[in-house]
Amino acid sequence: MAYGDPDPSREASRLGAHDDLVVLAKTQAGALGQLYELYYDRIFRFCIHRLFNRTTAEDVTSSVFLTVARTMRDFKGRTEQDFRSWIYTIAANQANAHIRKTVRRKRLMNNVQGRRWAGEEDFDSATGSAAAQWSRLDWPTLYAAIQELKPEHQTILTLRFFENMDYDEIGRVVDARPATVRVTLHRTLRRLQEVLQGDLGGEA
Amino acid sequence: MFENEHDFRKLMDGLKLDDQPNPTHRERLRGQMLQAFEQAGRQRPDDRGQTTEGRRKPARPIRPPFSVFRLRASWLAVAAVVLIAAGIGIWGLVGRGPVTLHQVRLATQKAPWLYAVIKRYQGGEVRTERHWYDFAAQKAYAVLDDDAVVGWDYGADSKKLLYNPRVKALLISDLSVAGAGDSTENLLSVFAVFAAQDDVRGLTSQYDGKTVRSFEIEKAESGLSIDGKAVNRLRATVMADPRTRRIVAVGIEYQGSDGSVLVREGWAMSYPPSGPASVYDLGVPAAAARIDGRRQRIGTPSDEPTPIPTPAPAGGFRLAPVEIRLPKPMFAGTPQDARMPNLERPRGGPRPPFLAPVGTTNVALGKPVSSSDPEPVIGSLEAITDGDKEAAEGSFVELSPGPQFVTIDLQERCEIDAVVVWHYHRWPRAYVDVVVQVSDDPAFKTAVKTIFNNDTDSSLGLGAGRDLSYVETYEGKLMEGKGAQGRYIRLFSNGNTRDDLNHYIEVEVYGRPLRLIQDN
Repeated sequence: MAYGDPDPSREASRLGAHDDLVVLAKTQAGALGQLYELYYDRIFRFCIHRLFNRTTAEDVTSSVFLTVARTMRDFKGRTEQDFRSWIYTIAANQANAHIRKTVRRKRLMNNVQGRRWAGEEDFDSATGSAAAQWSRLDWPTLYAAIQELKPEHQTILTLRFFENMDYDEIGRVVDARPATVRVTLHRTLRRLQEVLQGDLGGEA
Repeated sequence: MFENEHDFRKLMDGLKLDDQPNPTHRERLRGQMLQAFEQAGRQRPDDRGQTTEGRRKPARPIRPPFSVFRLRASWLAVAAVVLIAAGIGIWGLVGRGPVTLHQVRLATQKAPWLYAVIKRYQGGEVRTERHWYDFAAQKAYAVLDDDAVVGWDYGADSKKLLYNPRVKALLISDLSVAGAGDSTENLLSVFAVFAAQDDVRGLTSQYDGKTVRSFEIEKAESGLSIDGKAVNRLRATVMADPRTRRIVAVGIEYQGSDGSVLVREGWAMSYPPSGPASVYDLGVPAAAARIDGRRQRIGTPSDEPTPIPTPAPAGGFRLAPVEIRLPKPMFAGTPQDARMPNLERPRGGPRPPFLAPVGTTNVALGKPVSSSDPEPVIGSLEAITDGDKEAAEGSFVELSPGPQFVTIDLQERCEIDAVVVWHYHRWPRAYVDVVVQVSDDPAFKTAVKTIFNNDTDSSLGLGAGRDLSYVETYEGKLMEGKGAQGRYIRLFSNGNTRDDLNHYIEVEVYGRPLRLIQDN
């Protein structure tokens, strides 16, 4: 298994443990509250990795759970796996819808740029080695580079590297085949590398 | 920097981001969420149609309850209106008598222009044509489904002009040798059939939510064949507005010798103040080569027809291709199973350019959208008119299951040439009960014109439609506006072949504000 990959069998058995909770949560507030406790951190973490702004991430997280509350009774799934895919789909779409709003996007990008430029003063611009470039890479720089990608590619990247989902599950969230997810992720990483090369300068 | 996922993970492990949730937010949201859950439960109907608060759920969730009858005074007012209306109706029947087919023909022919959008259903395919008729000048024009342009001159010149966009040539022929099919397919000939059947009695019926006078006429046909099968009989249902006495719609069936329907046509009529002055107003380029087939006729020199000059561009009416920017195709090859009855066969090629009067634009761009589901499951309603047609995440809106609608406020009255809808084209799915209406009434209770309806069993309660269902593609679905005028566009759907949910990526409304048309 590759470094950091989730163990699919362990994940599956863990997910199966809460199947009853999902069924109960369609009619019982208590069960929904338990699901909320299980998923709040994950969804918030997903949102902050997509939006890079705590307040915005909290807004989107709220929006996701309020949507779940309103539509839970119509939710067709019966397993935790179904619920997990569903809630991440809602979160991915809400985050993308948020980021597509031009004004907000510009503000986010300006924030990131501001932090990058402020941070660059500390960098040793004379160094051009790969190690030096590694040391120059910080989260704002990486986030800005990720923002250059298409929104759906950003989602796949976030689900894979922050949420540690396997290709099957990502496929369920983004409505694509696992093989397509794998190829898309490969291309996304290549594109990200190109963007970072441009940002940091020099060879990768 | 990083060659694979492993390297990228290592790189990210070295980065720090404060992603610890705020406990205060977590607690506050928990309370809000459970409150929203309880609230949704209270508003939800049980199996008997009762909400848990004891209120009767409306029979159809997309229709607001009609509350005017709750007031006794309103009852009296409505009763008075009904009595007055009935009195007017009785006077109309006694004083003017029922509308006859003869009167319908005369009133229709008196209109300066008749514009008809014709949908032809044949072998699972639907083809759309647009016709303009100038009865006074005895001329007719048509833009066919493949963007070919036809002009008929039934006057002294008696000629037919056919422009083929693929060879970019205008073929001119004598109308008398143009073929029987031509004359059968145009309204002038159908009118001749009407004239011979003036004794047909009309019946009162409903069309597009309005009361119309309906006439059933038949004609034995000979000499016409469709796909090698002889047409034996032509049946037409003519519907006329009893007030204006003009035709509003015609349904025509071409029957074979065994009584089977070979082709079915639906005509929707409107009466614009102007129309094309020549085929050149319908997108035929002035530089198109002209082939005059009439010169091949044998005759005396005096019979030689005069050449047809290219007319100067007309001032008022001219059609030009509308530029509809398309998103990236999201799938190719054999579509997945989207089995449902009445499904349109895929076109098998790009959609031909859509011709509309010069000045036609997407009047829905950036306009406000409301919905029967004001809080979509995914996305926000403004995405429907934001100009983004890509089937990516964040670009679409997901509405709750079951029948739902969205309404676009164009913010002024417009003449609608076409509505193009992208529900969700990431996967080949077909949306159920798609109905598109135009009205000046934001509640869509009065003066509603339906421009598309594939709800064949009227499950939405808006009347049964005859349009075909279709599989979503990146081209979107173009629905002819049929000359409709109004400020609001409402689009209904009732789930899709994959699930019960309703989606919209984009809706474009091509038209012109009426104030600009009137200014011209």
